[in-house]
Amino acid sequence: MKENLFIQAARRPLGLAAMITLGVLYLVAIFAPFIAPYQTQTQQLQKTYHPPTGLTWQDGRLQVKVYEQVDPTVYEPIPGGAAPIRFFARGFEYKILGLIPWDRHLFLVEAPERIYLLGSDSTGRDVFSRLLYGAQISLSIGLIGITITMTFGFLIGSLAGYFGGWVDNAAMRLVELLMAIPGLYLLLALRSAFAAHVPSDQMYLLIVIILAFIGWAATARIIRGMSLSLRQRQFVLAAEVLGQSTWKILTRHILPNTFSYLIVAATLSIPAYILGEAALSFLGLGIQEPSASWGLMLSQAQDSKVFMMNLWWLLIPGAAIFVTVIAYNVLGDVLRDIVDPKMKVQSR
Amino acid sequence: MAFLYPVNFSKRDSLMGIVMAAAVVLTGCGGKITLEREVHPIPEDADRSVSAPGKPGSVFVQSSPGAPNTFNKLVAEDAPSSEAIALLMDGLTRYDPVREEVVPGLARSWEISEDQKTFIFHLRRGVLWSDGHPFTAGDVVFTFQAIYDERYPNRGAYDLSVDGEPFEVEKIDEHTVRITTPEVFAPFLLYMSREILPRHKLIDAFEDGSLLRQWSIGTAQRTPREIIGTGPYRLRSFRVGERAVFEANPHYWRADEAGQRLPYTDFLVMTFVSDQNSAMARFANGETDVEAITPDNIIWVERTAERHDFTIHDRGPSTGTSFIWFNQHPGSDANGKPYVEPHKLAWFTDQRFRQAISHGIDRDGIIEGVLFNRGTPLWGPESPANTRWFNPDVKQYPLDLARSRELLREAGFDWDARGRLHDKEGNRVTFSLITNHENPIRTAMSMVFRENMQELGINVQVQFLDFGTVVTKIQSSFDYEAGMLGFTGGIDPSGGMSIYHSRGRLHQWHPSQEQPATEWEARIDELMLRQLKTLDFEERFAAWAEVQQIMSEQVPFIYLVTPNAYAGLKNRWNNVEIPTMGSVVWNIDEIWAP
Repeated sequence: MKENLFIQAARRPLGLAAMITLGVLYLVAIFAPFIAPYQTQTQQLQKTYHPPTGLTWQDGRLQVKVYEQVDPTVYEPIPGGAAPIRFFARGFEYKILGLIPWDRHLFLVEAPERIYLLGSDSTGRDVFSRLLYGAQISLSIGLIGITITMTFGFLIGSLAGYFGGWVDNAAMRLVELLMAIPGLYLLLALRSAFAAHVPSDQMYLLIVIILAFIGWAATARIIRGMSLSLRQRQFVLAAEVLGQSTWKILTRHILPNTFSYLIVAATLSIPAYILGEAALSFLGLGIQEPSASWGLMLSQAQDSKVFMMNLWWLLIPGAAIFVTVIAYNVLGDVLRDIVDPKMKVQSR
Repeated sequence: MAFLYPVNFSKRDSLMGIVMAAAVVLTGCGGKITLEREVHPIPEDADRSVSAPGKPGSVFVQSSPGAPNTFNKLVAEDAPSSEAIALLMDGLTRYDPVREEVVPGLARSWEISEDQKTFIFHLRRGVLWSDGHPFTAGDVVFTFQAIYDERYPNRGAYDLSVDGEPFEVEKIDEHTVRITTPEVFAPFLLYMSREILPRHKLIDAFEDGSLLRQWSIGTAQRTPREIIGTGPYRLRSFRVGERAVFEANPHYWRADEAGQRLPYTDFLVMTFVSDQNSAMARFANGETDVEAITPDNIIWVERTAERHDFTIHDRGPSTGTSFIWFNQHPGSDANGKPYVEPHKLAWFTDQRFRQAISHGIDRDGIIEGVLFNRGTPLWGPESPANTRWFNPDVKQYPLDLARSRELLREAGFDWDARGRLHDKEGNRVTFSLITNHENPIRTAMSMVFRENMQELGINVQVQFLDFGTVVTKIQSSFDYEAGMLGFTGGIDPSGGMSIYHSRGRLHQWHPSQEQPATEWEARIDELMLRQLKTLDFEERFAAWAEVQQIMSEQVPFIYLVTPNAYAGLKNRWNNVEIPTMGSVVWNIDEIWAP
């Protein structure tokens, strides 16, 4: 490889845009406790379905408008009423990166007023905070899942291709079996087979495993094809003749030659994990209350009153999923163009 | 628990007719659909409605979330089927939810013997089935025969028996029936509103063993007229997944004071929709005439009230209850593993612990936030909606964390430096709560509960399962710690036998006990049997009021809130009397529109 794949991608406007978007999303997810003004489960039963609070410039500083409840779920700003936003104020305690305890937050308003950048939900929880915490789950699930998938896909695919014969046969029939079953049904079946009910803290792990279990087959199949052709190449034959161990051949000769494919495939299939988690949580089988994930938040927005009363802010998790998936797909396309110019779909 | 009370009271009532004619034709004059009614003489014993005389014609449209899956009363166990059957058929008595009493139905009157076990029903003379065949005592005897026949297992056999012993039903003459109960059975007259089946139509199927296969959805689709009854309507057409169309029964046995046979409405159209949300959307769109509106949806439904000329009526608290309970089952599973860990069982069986939890729940917060200020806190098994049976003097548990902490301390609990609650032996107080995920209001309530418990230093893990799994856990596998569910309310305390009696299957905190585990459960058992075995209202009320009192004192169920009930109804309908509970259009035969 002449140059790092990602540096090449960053030279292209689309690739750069996608990488910046994803970078911002992941940064926000990592520092969610700092950026979020409230915890995911902090309720405010007097302010359910509160609309996003407006911002105003008053007395020389940025303030949030104060609302009064005219009817349950109907709020109107009090003219002239405002509460100052305090930056780097003290709020709930958390640990930066899970290590350093801290209690400063990017912005807060003085209690009892609350700042709802993206409104509040059915128990008055801050949608903005939940969206950030939800990003931690929704975004990391793709990365962890893809790592497992690619590892398994590579191991099984390359072994099958390298050894051929009955190993190849057995592995590929298993792959076909998995690929023949429609994904969503397999997802649901596995979900109920593994455990009918798990504590919500283990649910995250379970979802990753289920998604990875479904995902490895396609990768294995392609890697198998690649290693099948690679093993006929002279450098592999030479390594064999020199008596290198199978493991060494796989890692030193086959892996580097399939690496760029793996990167592209990984980027293109991360959205499937994000959508998979969203689908499970949407159906009530994934992440559960009071944790937040984008799919779970979206499932709470399917109530008819959300549409009838125009509670549009509850649909924002959908927009977040959309943006993430698009960014990954664009990045994946760009990477593929670089790796495999013959497949190029557009000019630079 | 969707369905607890055995008897279903829905719409119905009324009619009268005069001469004769044959064909029923749908004529489309100016877009208005009317029914050319057959005219038949009004029966000599016709019931005269006291409501103001109205004008026949018009179509009543309603949505039904979930479609009937049978028209056979012996098979029907779900609400949509029972509601549809109630439009087609009648029982010996009827329940009037406005006057809150049992009134004559197909029986014109009845006599009760000294020992309160024998009832003689005098049937109305001249009543005809919707196919013109006369209704007689033979039909009543046949109905009970079918219910008790061992070839046809059905819910009625359980409801209409005392300790497994059936009633004796004898025909005295063509219009007189004697029914004897093995013991005094309090809800007897109420249960006599169960629909009577036509002997002439079903006797063959009864003989050859195919009775349960009669009057299926297939029959309704192919030959709707084969399903006959004495009710205000007969089935005109049925289309799976779309709608059922009912038309006025020209042989109905009720009439108004002016001699007009009821019902006034020509047609009743029941459109099947997927869920309550779409039913409300249809109503808000002006497509249906009536709909129950849940408190959280009123705001947007109300917006179209003027355009579609409807009103949303506030019916006060609903009859449904919601509660949290702890598993107090002391048993163990097949491997000898206790259902509930022993130290947790010790908390759960401690009355002070349960009372402390109850004091820690912010019911007003739930009402304000989750129910949009449209709910009522609940302290006992009877909702204030049931004005006849509600006991207001029960122990109440308003939010009071100080009292809560005091109770916990008395029971030997204590807090560590970080405010986490521990029991005597130093175990951290934490439990899991199961509930079903289909109900958004319940989901929100469980989240509020979780936050409330956090205040007391108790960690609650909420598990959302599907309804079927929850029922399996609470009724057969018992492997859970706490649960949150609700009961749909009923009109008579006898429906609560299976809940409050310690042998009951729905006695959820410790179901199906051989012997009552505690003194207070023994006392409840005694009271529940007392109210069941007398016809005297005062005595029954005293017993049921004490049960409510004990339940609130011992808090095996920690009652939460009941949402207020709201009914949307188009303003064009007259003679509407909305009762505090049950169907809004319970007198569907009496209502009319110009």
